[in-house]
Amino acid sequence: MPGEWIFIPDKDGQIEHIYREKTDKRILKKNPWRDLRLHGTVLVLVVIAELIGTIRIPITKDVAITIMPLIYTIILGLAFYLVKPIKWIHRKQARIAEGAMMLFIGVLIAKLAVSSGQSISLIFEMGPALILQELGHLATILVLPIALLLGFKKEAIGMTNSIGREPNVAVVVDKYGFNSPESRGVFAIFIIGTVIGTIFISFLVTFSLSFIPLHPYAYAMASGVGSASMNAAAIGPTLAAFPGLETQIEAFAGFSNLLSFCVGIYIVIFIALPLTEKIYNWLEPKIGREALVPEKEDE
Amino acid sequence: MVDFIDGAENVSVHGIFNWILLLAIFSIITVVGNYIGYKHPIADSLVGMAMLSLITLCGVWMERELPFNISSIIYISVIGIVLAFPSMPTSGVLLHYVSQVELLSIVTVFLAYVGIGMGKSWNEFKSLGWRAIIVTVLVIASTYLGSAVVAHIILVMTGVPV
Repeated sequence: MPGEWIFIPDKDGQIEHIYREKTDKRILKKNPWRDLRLHGTVLVLVVIAELIGTIRIPITKDVAITIMPLIYTIILGLAFYLVKPIKWIHRKQARIAEGAMMLFIGVLIAKLAVSSGQSISLIFEMGPALILQELGHLATILVLPIALLLGFKKEAIGMTNSIGREPNVAVVVDKYGFNSPESRGVFAIFIIGTVIGTIFISFLVTFSLSFIPLHPYAYAMASGVGSASMNAAAIGPTLAAFPGLETQIEAFAGFSNLLSFCVGIYIVIFIALPLTEKIYNWLEPKIGREALVPEKEDE
Repeated sequence: MVDFIDGAENVSVHGIFNWILLLAIFSIITVVGNYIGYKHPIADSLVGMAMLSLITLCGVWMERELPFNISSIIYISVIGIVLAFPSMPTSGVLLHYVSQVELLSIVTVFLAYVGIGMGKSWNEFKSLGWRAIIVTVLVIASTYLGSAVVAHIILVMTGVPV
C-alpha cells in the first residue's frame, strides 16, 4: 500500500491523535500561510463559486435539484489538482491544504456550536431523537450481503461496519492489525470516501430532500455523519430546502456531529463491529463468492 | 510518549503564530465570499470570523496543552455552546457578529481546501476498482438515510410538529 495517507498511530490506538499529528506535521514544518499560490487559488475559486451562485434545476413542479457554490469549489479544487496545465497546485499544495483543512474544521465546528448553544433548550427537548439516530448509522451493515455478493471476504467486515472515516479506521486497525483484510477494507472505504464522499453526499441529500418527505430536524440530525467535510456538504442543501429554520438545522447538525464523535465511536466498538462479525460468520458460508483480491483483479 | 515530545513543541510561539496566520487567511477568504454571496457587511463579518477563529484557537491549544486525550473538535464545540448559552453575558455580542457569517460561506471555502487536498488520493482511488466504489457509495447512503429515518420515527413518535 502506498504510504502517503497511512498516518494511523496503531500502537496504542489513540484515536483523536490522527487529526492532531496530521495537522501539526503540515503546519509546523511548512509555514503554510506562506503558500500564497494555494490561498490565492482558493480565493479565486470561492469568488467564482459565489458569483455563479446557487442553481436550481426544476424536475417537476414541486421538486427541484439545487446545486450550490460549495459543489463548485470542491470540484474545481479537485480539478485544479488533477488538470496538468495548472502548474502551481501540486502535491505539496495538496498536503498543505489537507493540513490547513484540519484547522479550518474548527471554525466550522465553532459556528455550529454557537447555533447549538443558542438553541440548547430545543436540543434537550429533542434529546431522544438526537441520541437514538446515532443507532441509525448501524444501517451500514445492510450493505454487508452486497459486499459478499461482489466477492469480498473479510474485507467486507472493515468496509461495512461504519462509514469508514478517520476514527473508524483507527478502531478497525487497532482491533485487527494493520495488514489484516479487515483493515484493507476500511482503508478502501476511507480513500474512496475521501475522493467521492463529499460530492456524493451532497447529491444524495439533494435527492433525498426532493423525494423522501422526512422531518426537517431528522435531515439536520442525519447530516452529522462523523466526517466534517461530509457534514458540511450535507448541511448546505438542507438549509436551502427549509428556509426559516437555519438556526435549528445548524444546531441539530452541529450537535449530532458532536455526538458522532463522542458516542458514535463507542457504538462502532461495542455494537457495530461485533454485530458485523457475527452476521459475516453466519452469512459468508451461505452467499460468499469465490475469493478474489479485488484491488488487483478488476482493471 | 512520542506524542508528548511532539506536543511540547506544538505549543511554541511558532506553532500558534502559524495557526493564527492561517486562520486570518481563512477568515479573509470567507468574508470575501460572504460579501459576494450574501451581501453581509464586511466589517461585522470579519469580527464574527475573528470570534470563531478565537474559539478554534482555544480548542486547538487545549487539545495539545491539557493532559487529556480529547479531540479539539470536542473542546471547540463545548466552548462555542457554553459562550452562546442564552443566559451567558457573552451570548448577545457573540450571536450578533457570528450571525453575520453564513455557515455556507464557511463551508464553501472549507470545501475548496478539501477539494485540493483530496486530489492527492486520486491515484490510490483509481486503483481500487468499481466493486469497492459501489460498496462505499452504499455505505455512505445507508449511514445517512439510516440515521435520518430513525430520527424521523422518533420525532413523529414524540409528536414534534414539523
